[in-house]
Amino acid sequence: MSKCPGALYALIAIAGIAVSSAQPAAAQTKDTEWPTYGADLANTRYRPLDQINASNFSQLELAWVFKTDNLGTRPEYKLEGTPLMVKGVLYATGGTRRSVVALDAASGEVLWVHGEHEGERAMAAPRQLSGRGVAYWTDGKEERVLYVTPGYRLVALDAKTGVPVHTFGENGLVDLKLNDDQAIFPDLTTGEIGLQSAPTIAGNTIIIGASFREGMTPKSMRNNKGYVRGFDVRTGKRLWIFHTIPTKTEPGYDSWLNGSAEYTGNTGVWTQISVDEKRGLVYLPVESPTGDYYGGHRPGNDLYGESLVCVDLKTGERKWHFQLVHHPLWDMDISSAPILADITVEGRAVPAVAVPSKQGILYVFDRVTGKPVWPIEEKPAPQGDVPGEWYSPTQPIPSKPPAYARNGVAVDDLINFTPALRDQAQTLIAKYRIGPVFTPPVESKLDGPLATLTLGTASGGTNWPGGSYDPETHTVYAYACNACLTPIGLMKSPKELSDMAYVAGTAGQEVRMRAGPGENAGADSVAAVAAGRGAGGGRAGRGGGAGRGAAAPAESAPPAAAPPARAGGGGGGGMTVQGLPLIKPPYATISAINLDRGEIVWQVAHGETPDAIKNNPALKGLDIPRTGQSGYNIGTLVTKSLVIAGDSLITTTSSATRGAMLRAYDKTSGKEVGAVTMPAPQSGSPMTYMWNGRQYIVIAISGGAYSGEYRAYRLPDER
Amino acid sequence: MRKRLTAMAFAAAVLMAQTTRSVWDGVYTADQAKRGQDLYSKECASCHGSDLTGGESAPALAGPGFLSNWTTLTVGDLFERTRVSMPENNPGKLSRAQVADLTAYLLSANRFPAGKTELDKQTEVLKQIRIDAEKK
Repeated sequence: MSKCPGALYALIAIAGIAVSSAQPAAAQTKDTEWPTYGADLANTRYRPLDQINASNFSQLELAWVFKTDNLGTRPEYKLEGTPLMVKGVLYATGGTRRSVVALDAASGEVLWVHGEHEGERAMAAPRQLSGRGVAYWTDGKEERVLYVTPGYRLVALDAKTGVPVHTFGENGLVDLKLNDDQAIFPDLTTGEIGLQSAPTIAGNTIIIGASFREGMTPKSMRNNKGYVRGFDVRTGKRLWIFHTIPTKTEPGYDSWLNGSAEYTGNTGVWTQISVDEKRGLVYLPVESPTGDYYGGHRPGNDLYGESLVCVDLKTGERKWHFQLVHHPLWDMDISSAPILADITVEGRAVPAVAVPSKQGILYVFDRVTGKPVWPIEEKPAPQGDVPGEWYSPTQPIPSKPPAYARNGVAVDDLINFTPALRDQAQTLIAKYRIGPVFTPPVESKLDGPLATLTLGTASGGTNWPGGSYDPETHTVYAYACNACLTPIGLMKSPKELSDMAYVAGTAGQEVRMRAGPGENAGADSVAAVAAGRGAGGGRAGRGGGAGRGAAAPAESAPPAAAPPARAGGGGGGGMTVQGLPLIKPPYATISAINLDRGEIVWQVAHGETPDAIKNNPALKGLDIPRTGQSGYNIGTLVTKSLVIAGDSLITTTSSATRGAMLRAYDKTSGKEVGAVTMPAPQSGSPMTYMWNGRQYIVIAISGGAYSGEYRAYRLPDER
Repeated sequence: MRKRLTAMAFAAAVLMAQTTRSVWDGVYTADQAKRGQDLYSKECASCHGSDLTGGESAPALAGPGFLSNWTTLTVGDLFERTRVSMPENNPGKLSRAQVADLTAYLLSANRFPAGKTELDKQTEVLKQIRIDAEKK
């Protein structure tokens, strides 16, 4: 077997099936396809389709299922992708190898599969597993599908065949660890940097961000930096770079005191990027700098950490920025794709950009000038006393719209089914600091405080699925966890763990390195390679062509884990009172926020009341309205008349079926108008399209005991 | 036809008999749960939290959310999920007996009563024990 250091192409071209041959010459319209992760570059997750509507949603039938178990060396339980649909073909990532598949839009039949065997590089990748999806490009003749591998390579595939486009980069592939204005350390194989989101393509420019390990316990205050780059979609040539941490000669460098911009890393853009193609403007939602909860090694405001940055599509030059959180200490990465919306405020047309957030605040700006649409005031922020920490005296708080999810913890947020339960909750939190949004972490002490109890931080609020937008009514729809309780305590870091002064930890417990979802769980992870299934050792290499298997058979392979949702009827794991969540319902909501007025139009609890609450003996005899379910993986879809999203937990329904519901709400009122039962929770956001006269809804589900699959729904065939 | 119906009825009866026990019937021992706890703190706590509360990276293994996901499934399902997928960075590392101990610890942490017999390490046997979040 040839041994080459590069990647191995594993391509299954199914003989006799050419992607385009079976399809009629469909009219390609923007209303019926789903050509980019968020439906369009404004990231609206909206399509004005109405075949599936309030009158028939509950009659939806399964059109097909695509199981992702064998796209890698073991099944995956964390499928987060949203497929694209162009000209009757779905393109999606899936499986522990993050393979790309092309599926027939009507039948789900596999048209081609592509996977990269990256060996040690994938094994060391900070973001493994299936990722969020792909990007599509065409010039009217040629069609390409692009994605980023776990090992941080940008791959261009021929959309018709799945074969790498050899004129792109080196044989179809651009090594994203190179040409990044920094030497990725310690080396190209193990250097920490990757990306799980789908690439963004505007015109002929591909825009690529970066992601890292979870930042609760960084290995060091020094890390690689998450710069954003533009690449030519034809050649793979780098066109521009934006330094999310400014270099010495750039504005913003002085927001990092003591020269900390030199060594601080992270600060990437790991969620979806939006583009105003007409104006040539790109909107970058930037994450936290190194150290999610401790910033003592990076004193100052730390630009462009947790900022929305607008750059030029052609040059990457910064046009404007707005820092949503100064000196980040709460893991309030900007986690949602910015939503581009043309709105009317007090009779004036405003080209706006709206950003849902983990902290449950929708930030709205004029997307050309960067000026807030409604005033955003700097307000005094709670201060802390962790040794060596630097605190921003103020934080920006929008005057409108009001927060749409809880973003701090007060006694009034605690469980209140009965006065006795509230009393017990108060006893439970006695050793914790609580407070409003931006209450900082504490050094954990046995006698208290053990931690700061927070809502609207690491999990959100609105996390990576982001929101949706209805351009007809100028309304943003956003799911938010309302009870994803995160206790943030800090402990002095043992030297062998990290050179950070403090990392996340709890007094009385060993300080441990906290791993991120999917870390070491990909197809090429240690166990898979040891068992001879991955591409490490002698199997690394590059081959290709039909007949080469994507991976070894998976029948005896151990599955990759990491269920998608932080479980918990109310989040916060074991911080429960008699088996009930510490925080009162609703545990999660979907909100409709009108952008012309900056007002919440409606808000509903999303998700069935968890069984453990429905059946809890402490609540016997109480009439409890639907509580919703906490979780941070829920994204919404908007159609002509509906807002659609699935549950994040399994429950037992009234008909005693065990499942998670896919729900439809009337978009004007929030009233639930239909639901169908799925065998596992929603783990990737739904999308919709029209093909051959029928509307489909496709959704990724996984979690608990259920491995990942894409499911397509449509109405029953009436013929 | 009748034969087939009889066969089906018989199969249904077997299926019911298979899951007549539940986690409320004292299906593990306190000693076993203690062994499981020691193993948990070594192998699982870094992601799932020292007190099973979960974290940013992994779900809680005790409490209402956990139970919502597993209720009406079997201890065998939970055992199998752990056995084939955990610990995430090296699945397959733990022996069946160790996974049984860990499962016993999870049951005790979720306040299901201990009994006099240890939890078995055979999946088929464990599939006969139903997880019911609430006592029926």
